[in-house]
Amino acid sequence: MSVTLMKTPAETAFACAFDAQGPLASVRKSAFQQFAETGLPHWRMEDWKWTDLRQIISKALPPAAGTHAGAKVIDAIVAAAPFAGVANGRLVFVDGQYDAGRSALPAGVEFATLADAGSDRLVAGSTDPIAALNLAFMSDGAVLTFKAGSNIDAPIELMFVTTGAAAASYATRNVIVLEEGASATVIETHIGGEGEYLHNAVTQIHVGENARLDRVKVQEEGLDGIHLSNAEVHLAASAHFKDFTLTMGGRATRQQGFLTFEGEGTESHVSGAYLLTGKQHCDTRLVIDHAVPHCTSRELFKCVMDEAARGVFQGKAIVRRDAQKTDGNQSSHALLLSDEAEFDAKPELEIYADDVVCGHGATSGDLDENHLFYLKARGIPEQTAKSMLIAAFAAEAFDDVESDAIREVLTGLAEGWLDRRKGA
Amino acid sequence: MLEIRNLHVKLEEEGKQIIKGLDLTINAGEVHAIMGPNGSGKSTLSYVLAGRPGYEVADGSISYKGEDLLEMEADERAAAGVFLAFQYPIEIPGVATMQFLKVALNSQRKARGEGELSTPDFMRLVREKADKLNVTQDMLKRPVNVGFSGGEKKRAEILQMAVLEPSLCVLDETDSGLDIDALRVVADGVNALRSPDRAMLVITHYQRLLDYIVPDKVHVMSAGKIVKSGGKELALELEKEGYAAYAA
Repeated sequence: MSVTLMKTPAETAFACAFDAQGPLASVRKSAFQQFAETGLPHWRMEDWKWTDLRQIISKALPPAAGTHAGAKVIDAIVAAAPFAGVANGRLVFVDGQYDAGRSALPAGVEFATLADAGSDRLVAGSTDPIAALNLAFMSDGAVLTFKAGSNIDAPIELMFVTTGAAAASYATRNVIVLEEGASATVIETHIGGEGEYLHNAVTQIHVGENARLDRVKVQEEGLDGIHLSNAEVHLAASAHFKDFTLTMGGRATRQQGFLTFEGEGTESHVSGAYLLTGKQHCDTRLVIDHAVPHCTSRELFKCVMDEAARGVFQGKAIVRRDAQKTDGNQSSHALLLSDEAEFDAKPELEIYADDVVCGHGATSGDLDENHLFYLKARGIPEQTAKSMLIAAFAAEAFDDVESDAIREVLTGLAEGWLDRRKGA
Repeated sequence: MLEIRNLHVKLEEEGKQIIKGLDLTINAGEVHAIMGPNGSGKSTLSYVLAGRPGYEVADGSISYKGEDLLEMEADERAAAGVFLAFQYPIEIPGVATMQFLKVALNSQRKARGEGELSTPDFMRLVREKADKLNVTQDMLKRPVNVGFSGGEKKRAEILQMAVLEPSLCVLDETDSGLDIDALRVVADGVNALRSPDRAMLVITHYQRLLDYIVPDKVHVMSAGKIVKSGGKELALELEKEGYAAYAA
C-alpha cells in the first residue's frame, strides 16, 4: 500500500481517521486503499490540472458525522433554502447525518437512510479517487426507490445542510433507483453555513427501462466550504435522464458526472449554470459513455464569472465501437464580467464508431456592447441592463428544466445573485 | 428642443473625423429630414444623439431642452425623452420583449419621478399600440427582435417609440428594408405620434419615406456637415438630381 504518498495535512488527517469497522468494513477498506494510491488529486493528474485538491484542501479537515450546531443555526440555514413550497417531500441531512425531525416524505416512495440500509449490495465502487474517499468515509444519505410504473409528480428534495460549525469533512451518499417505467423529479440542495468545511457528496443513479428522472441540483455551500461531488448514472434502454446543476456557493467546487448508456434508445440532457464571484472556483467534469447504439446525449453549461472567479468545464464523450447512430453534442459558454475572471474549457471526443453525429462547442466572452447600448438607449440604467443580459445568458440553461415551479426558483436565485452583485 | 452647434465628431479608436462642423436647430412640433449619400455621417449623428459609446465629440455642443445632452448617459437621455429608432435593431436572445418594454418604460418613469405602471395597465397599453402597428402577440412573446424579419424589426421599433412616448424621435433609415405596405404601416405609426410637443429627426437616403412622413424642413448632409437646407420640395429635387452635386 502506497500510503507514503499521503503527505499533506488533509491527507494525513484522512489516514489517521480511517478505521474500517462495521457492516461495510471491507468495502470501505478497499475504497480507502484505492484513495491512498493517489491521495488527493493534484495538478499533475490530467483531469485535475485546473483543480489541485492538495492546494485547495490545504488544512486538515478530519472526517466527521453529526453536528455541533445548535437547532437555531440549523433552522436558519434550512429556512434560507430555496425550494420550500415547491418540493413535495424533503429529506434533510445535517452535517452528514439524517435529521428525521426536519424530514417528511409523501407516500409511494420507498426510503431508507444509507446508515440503515447500508449494505455493500447498494454501493458501487468507482475509479475516481474522490468517490473512493467518499465510500471510505460515507456516513449517511438517502436510498430512494421509485417503484415500477410509479409516477411521483411533485419534486422530492434531498437537502444537505453543512453548518460549518466544525472544520471537518462530511461524506454523504445517495442511491436513487427508478424501476421500469417509473418517473420522478429529485432536487438535491446543498446549503451551508459559515466556516471552513468539506462536503463530499456522491449520488448513484439507476434509471430503469422506460423510466424518467429529472434531477435538479442547487449548490449554495457556504463561501468557505469546499464541495466535491460525483454523480454516477446508469441508464437502461429508453430511459430519459435530465440533470441540471446551479452552482453559486462554495469556495471551491469540483463536480463530476459519469453517465453510462446501458440500453438503446436512451436520452440524457445534462446542463448547468455557474454564478460565481470573489475567488470562487468551479470545475465540472462530465464523462458520457455511449456504450450502446441509438442514444442521444446533450450537455449545455452557461457559466458566469465575476471578479476573480474561475470556471472550468471538461466534457468528454466516449462513443464505443458498437454505439452506432449515437447523437451527441456538448457546449459550454462563459460570460466573463471582469478582467480577472477566467474560464477554461476542455471538450473531448473519443469516437470508435463510424456512423455517429457528435459535436462540441465552447465560447467565452464579456457582455455584448451592442446589447447593452440598445437597452440603455431605451432608458434602462446600466446596472439593470447588465443584470438583464446576465440573467438572459444563464436562463438558456434553465430552459432545460421541465418544471415551471423549479425554473421559477432558479430564476429567483439568479435574480438574488444579480441584486447582490448590483449592490456591491 | 434640439440645438446642435459646430459639432465635430470622430471615431474614438481610429480617430477618423466623421462629423465636421454641423449646425442644426429643431423646434418642438417640427419634423426635420436629413438626407445624404452613404458615408456622409447621418448615422453617426443619430448615434451621438443617443449616446452610443465609441464616438468622441471633439468640438461643439448639443443642447436638448436647454440641457447639455453630451453630459448625459444613454439611459438618462432616453428618460429625458430622446428616442433613436435603430437602422439595424439589435437582437437580444433571452430577454423577453414584454419584460424589456416594461423595464424600459418603468425605468424612464422612475427617472422622471413618476410612479411605475402596473402589469395589467402596461399590458393594456402595449396591446392597444401593437394592434395599430400590426405587431402580433407572437412577436411580443419572443425575445427582443429575435427571429423578426426586417419589417417586423422596424415595426417593433415604432411600437417601442409609441409606448415610451419620447419628445425627440430620431429615425435612422427607418425605411430601409421595408416594402411599400410595411412602409405605410410604419409611417402611419410615426405620423400618429406627431404633436406640437414632439420633434422628429428623420434620417433617410431616399425621398420615398418623405412621401409618407412629410417633413417641415429638409437638410442635405455631406462629408460631415449640412450643406443645404430647405422645405419639403428639396427632397424632390434631390430625388431628381441625386447627391452628385454635394459630393465631398
